[in-house]
Amino acid sequence: MPETYQIEMKNIQKSFGNIKSLRGVDLKLRPGEVLGLVGDNGAGKSTLMKTLSGVINPDEGEFHFEGKRVNIDSPKAAKNLNIETVFQDLSLCDTLDVASNMFLGREPIRFLGRLIDKKTLHTRAREELDKLGINISSTKLQVQNMSGGQRQAIAIARAMLFKPKVLVMDEPTAALGVKEVNMVLQLIKTVKEQGVSVVLITHRLQDLFEVCDRLMVLYEGKCIDDRPIDDFTLETLIKSIMGSPEGVKVS
Amino acid sequence: MKVEESIDVGGRIKQESALKSFVRENLSTLSIAGVFILICLFFGFMTDTFLSFSNSSNIIIQIAPNIIVAVMMTFVITTGGIDLSVGSILALASALAATLLSIGAGSFVTLISVIAAGLLVGLVNGYVVAYHGIPPLIVTLASMIYVRGLALMITGGYSIAIMGEDWIVSLGQDRILGVPIPVFLSVFIVTLGIVFLRYTRYGNYVTGIGANEESVRRSGVSTKKVKLITYMLSGGSAALAGLIIAARLGSGSSNIGNMFELDIIAAVVLGGTALFGGAGTIIGSVIGVALIGVIQNGLTLMHVSPYIIQIVEGFVLLLAVIINIRVFGKKS
Repeated sequence: MPETYQIEMKNIQKSFGNIKSLRGVDLKLRPGEVLGLVGDNGAGKSTLMKTLSGVINPDEGEFHFEGKRVNIDSPKAAKNLNIETVFQDLSLCDTLDVASNMFLGREPIRFLGRLIDKKTLHTRAREELDKLGINISSTKLQVQNMSGGQRQAIAIARAMLFKPKVLVMDEPTAALGVKEVNMVLQLIKTVKEQGVSVVLITHRLQDLFEVCDRLMVLYEGKCIDDRPIDDFTLETLIKSIMGSPEGVKVS
Repeated sequence: MKVEESIDVGGRIKQESALKSFVRENLSTLSIAGVFILICLFFGFMTDTFLSFSNSSNIIIQIAPNIIVAVMMTFVITTGGIDLSVGSILALASALAATLLSIGAGSFVTLISVIAAGLLVGLVNGYVVAYHGIPPLIVTLASMIYVRGLALMITGGYSIAIMGEDWIVSLGQDRILGVPIPVFLSVFIVTLGIVFLRYTRYGNYVTGIGANEESVRRSGVSTKKVKLITYMLSGGSAALAGLIIAARLGSGSSNIGNMFELDIIAAVVLGGTALFGGAGTIIGSVIGVALIGVIQNGLTLMHVSPYIIQIVEGFVLLLAVIINIRVFGKKS
């Protein structure tokens, strides 16, 4: 009997005009696994993850979720499957407060389904922040005055709020200070302990060795290497990213 | 005073009092409220009649329709948009109302048709802005032109008297418990506006779209629908205002509401709504409308030439925009 994956993406293709961004990528993600997705700029990492989160639709390809064929054609569809994404470009609304950002699109409501239940909103936001060990004094503060690390922590907390099965993180540590990077890596470990499958995109290769179980390397829109983390050293990983993986037959 | 630690992650700690953060977030509105009070005091000293009951209630009746439109304009501007067509919709509504009443269509049919016409123009605006991605400045400029054309076509350029005893006329002229109906209506709309902007999902998305539309979209919200609804309601509010004005004046004309849209936009920006979206304040817009109304009224009472009034208004707007950009520009 074949293994049941949390997510299986098959033959994903996507072109933007003349540029073939994805040339038939397969991706498998086991339950509770942290998969590192690496590759040079323009290799198609972000595009691949955007198809998984429904932000862009692939030209071709199939998604299987827990063994069942599914359609992911909108951010809503991805969310309905409990696939959550933390995007590279910090996607918070500056002028909304912490709790409103966390619940954006899924605010708890009361009174004939019209008014936002602000009390529940702030209580639940606070609970989630505490559960993840994120230290923010008030959920009523606007996010525009917060540090990059705090904003990233809020973005992750938002993704965790609805008990995702899959969490996609696109460059969560880009543009952060050293201390903040450690905080985010710790957060990823916490997320993993809660049994969530994670796909992590990052340019900070040393981070991958801290948190990942397996690495997948994209090169010019194709997957050219896919092995457990222990098979890699920083050196062999860099060779893979450059397009010539050691001991792997390029298909 | 309550002291909040506002930054903790990463080791940096910044302390800020709750009062201070309230002031920072509402700086524009608070300063314009101060200016409003000062200007009222100024006119109070300069004229005998400005602060009298009859003059005050006169101002309130006159600005009531403007407040109704300004509430919805606040939503539009908070999404990062603009609606230049409200002045023309005002004229269309007034022309349509007078024409329908003069052919004996009755109050109910008139009310429904006029509001529907406003919603329809707003629907077209919203559809083109949201679903075709055309800048709202251009879209609503086009509507401003063709809607005015429609109004002119309906009236043939004349004003049409509203006669007879239709109950709809009371909308502009009667009082309940001594309060004019237009004032009741505007208080009602303002209340709805405050509740919807601050306490509903819709209001959250309006603010969110102005701050970071892509983020709201990626949260699974149909941002296009939110924008469509916002422009529709803006058109509807302008139609309601046009109806009230026609009822008050007892006639419908295709020439009313020239530059009306600019008065409204000026008031909203004056009140502290961010010019490029992301932060809106209904109370601020009400104060903005009141401020413009008071300046017009007070200068008239002081026998200042209407030409000079217009010059003053222009400079007040210029000042407001400079302050607005300074306050909101710092944040991004």
